[in-house]
Amino acid sequence: MPWIKKEKAEKLKEHFPSIKINQYKDNISVEIEKEKLKEFLSFLKENPEYQFKMFIDFSCVDYPLSNPRFQGVYILYSPQYKERIIIKTWATNEELPTITDLWKGAKWAEREAYDMFGIKFQGHENLVRMFMWENYPYYPLRKDFPKEGIKNTYLPSLNEPENSYPSHDYDPYHTAIPTLQDLEVTQKTRMPEKKAQIVLNWGPLHPGTHGTIWFIFDLEGETVKNCEIILGQLHRGIEKLSEDITYTQVIPYTDRMDYISAICSNVAYVNAVEKLLDVPVPEKAKWIRTMLCELQRINSHLLWLGTFALDLGALTIFLYTFREREKIMDIIEGIAGIRLNSTYMRIGGVRMDLPQGAIDVIKHFIKDFPSKLKEYEDILTKNRIWLRRNIGLGIITEEDVYSYGITGVVARGSGVPYDIRFTDPTDAYDKVDFEIPLGTQGDCYDRYLVRMEEMRQSLEIVKQCIEKLEKLKDDKYLATDNPYVLPTLEETFNSIEAMVKDFNLRIYGEQAPEGEIYSSGENPRGELGFYIINKGEGKPYRLRIRSGAFYNLQIFPELIIGRTVADAVVLLGSLDPVVGETDR
Amino acid sequence: MELLAVIIGIGIKSIIFIIGMFLLAAYLTLVERKFAGHVQQRPGPLHVGFHGLLQPIADALKVLTKEDIVPNFVDKYLFYLASLMAFVPAIMILAVIPFGEPITIFGYEVKPYISDVNVGLILALAFGSISIYGVIFAGWASNSKYPMIGGLRKAAVLIGYEVALGFALVGPIMLAGTFSLREIVEAQQGFFGAFIWYQPLAFVVFLFSILAETGRTPFDVQEAEAELVAGYNTEYSGMKFGLFPLAEWYIATFVLSAMAVILFFGGWNGPHIFGAVSPYIWFMLKLFLVFMFLLWVHWTLPRYRVDQITEIAWKVMLPLTFLNIFITAGIIIIKG
Repeated sequence: MPWIKKEKAEKLKEHFPSIKINQYKDNISVEIEKEKLKEFLSFLKENPEYQFKMFIDFSCVDYPLSNPRFQGVYILYSPQYKERIIIKTWATNEELPTITDLWKGAKWAEREAYDMFGIKFQGHENLVRMFMWENYPYYPLRKDFPKEGIKNTYLPSLNEPENSYPSHDYDPYHTAIPTLQDLEVTQKTRMPEKKAQIVLNWGPLHPGTHGTIWFIFDLEGETVKNCEIILGQLHRGIEKLSEDITYTQVIPYTDRMDYISAICSNVAYVNAVEKLLDVPVPEKAKWIRTMLCELQRINSHLLWLGTFALDLGALTIFLYTFREREKIMDIIEGIAGIRLNSTYMRIGGVRMDLPQGAIDVIKHFIKDFPSKLKEYEDILTKNRIWLRRNIGLGIITEEDVYSYGITGVVARGSGVPYDIRFTDPTDAYDKVDFEIPLGTQGDCYDRYLVRMEEMRQSLEIVKQCIEKLEKLKDDKYLATDNPYVLPTLEETFNSIEAMVKDFNLRIYGEQAPEGEIYSSGENPRGELGFYIINKGEGKPYRLRIRSGAFYNLQIFPELIIGRTVADAVVLLGSLDPVVGETDR
Repeated sequence: MELLAVIIGIGIKSIIFIIGMFLLAAYLTLVERKFAGHVQQRPGPLHVGFHGLLQPIADALKVLTKEDIVPNFVDKYLFYLASLMAFVPAIMILAVIPFGEPITIFGYEVKPYISDVNVGLILALAFGSISIYGVIFAGWASNSKYPMIGGLRKAAVLIGYEVALGFALVGPIMLAGTFSLREIVEAQQGFFGAFIWYQPLAFVVFLFSILAETGRTPFDVQEAEAELVAGYNTEYSGMKFGLFPLAEWYIATFVLSAMAVILFFGGWNGPHIFGAVSPYIWFMLKLFLVFMFLLWVHWTLPRYRVDQITEIAWKVMLPLTFLNIFITAGIIIIKG
């Protein structure tokens, strides 16, 4: 259990008598007043009995009826004792002290909170918006945000004449849209001073940025003197959108976050909801989830390897990896019916049983894949050009990992054994046998090696899942007897009770008792955590998504300063962000 | 009168060479695409003509009929000049490349080369160096940041490799005792007469220099698409854009491969097993193999960073060529 014990948390009262300790399931949250917050956090960080050195997440929650209105939620992790803790504090006067001096990783999280809630952080070095542009008039995650749109702002359509009746049944009105001036102001505020010769806009649409990230490089010759990242080109407000839909309806949105590894995101979300709603998962569904997660991980790492090599100029590897990726895609398509955004997971299980022959296909893949993996390694691992481009670049120390909240492969490349599959095993991860590869230097080459080894380990897990699934052939795959689990299509059409249940769940949502939960899964990009507050309305009151790629990307400017543009591609490739997940 | 006849003769020959080179370059694109396709386990062009045989023509038509966009902010004169500067010198090297021995057709002696000047090699190097200006002009005239960086990178790479290339050629020149490409070929008789056996170091440096000069991986920093979009030709479109890769990737590669064959593989020398055309067949066969080797490298390796490339040029390649020169000179002196 990766949560601090209640007794240990109670001991904190000796030092801070004013704290309040709450427990929901295994989650322990500590509430403290704003004035003592900094002191408390640094106590937790420094005290040898607690050592919450690693920053996991910071977010806010809006309670419009209470005063003060906003609550800040910090999640910390202690690598020493393998424990998590949640710290909450009320933001009086819509202000909070910055904790960027304790954890650098809080920099973007605080900017995001400012962007979404309008909370000011005293002492933050450059408190500008994170995803929205400057001059944007609203704070989107506040509960009083005008969701219906502003009637005097017209969203121009590319294919419909201005005054015609729209072909969709929603208004063509929208909240504000940015003008060119707004974007210029945005760029200026993000990088207030120019230090060197050229300011190079690298992105938002650039072949090297793996999506739509906007980098600003301040260049002296080709050396980067200053770097800023402007995110938000793919910001869809998933956190806001999910506040109005039932828990089941959120699942497709999780697909579209990290679209490279949709199933892993699905599983991470579904696990969080199941923990919140107390839904048991059938044994078979657990094994299917584990197997598909690992296949998806191989898939994701293959895509990473291909594009990483492509960035470094090795064009052929890209097509080689896509050859294998295509096979996994076909497997996923065969099982889930959809290739990329499969939405295969359901609360309480999986959507469909494994189709006939799925296991045979996967077995064949397992047999075939190691030789292909060797092929990639033959071309790259000992290649001198590959070594010269990768070794010594972007060294992330253990300190950085804790300070920036870096997770996933990037953390393991630096030798930090932080793997959710291991520390907080969900599904069948506690029953399978696998190893966690660790790097030693923490440079790009180590991250490459870790990912390559991880593919092998994932294959081992898939092998074990196959063995188990063959024995569980006729088991249930969806816990439909639970009140919060949607019945299968067959049940809905054949029994009136199931139909009523289906109707109720779809219309009113999963009306579980109040509670809040933080649960995470090991995505190929890092820890994907979901912090869900449930008020019993059948939909999340607040759904905070802790994105691994978001925190991993944050260290990029620090690492690239002093290196060249050519290194930026390699470094970015090795951090492997997916913009769908960083922007959400 | 005799002068006029010579001028007309050279004129006709030049036109044949230029048109031939154009067609050849067009089909070299097909060769490359097929080759890349099979390296990457896909078929390559397949649908235009038999196994894509008409693809180059379709591509040429497409490029020629494309809208030619010239951005407002460019230096128009240099912008137009740049694409020609890259292309013309590359094709001018053909003037000194001999493709075989003179043959007699209908009583006339036809020389399969345009001119056999006694400084052919130096002329070829000079033409090769001029084409750098095209790249630098393109980067500068585009008045845009990515082309600028691409142009400067290319300039940095080329300066390094031009020097190494020049010194690498000294070895074969010393062995042959002439700058004339035809005479260099004649100096390499027999299988073991080819200079590659005596100048392996020079050959390696020369091969690297070809890769660097023609902007192929691992030295394609000037158009590293993940970093610089398309490098120095980002702002170009239509045929002006088409000329750059045509000149760099095909004509220059072809011509430099021809030089490699002449300098190190004994040119058209080979057993007379194909009758009268056997010199041409040997020449083209060797050339094709060198060209394929370059493609092979291009489609396999990742690329170096630009400072690493210049580092290799100045710290490894250049000392190697000096070493080669000293060793060659020493052996020549000892052997008398």
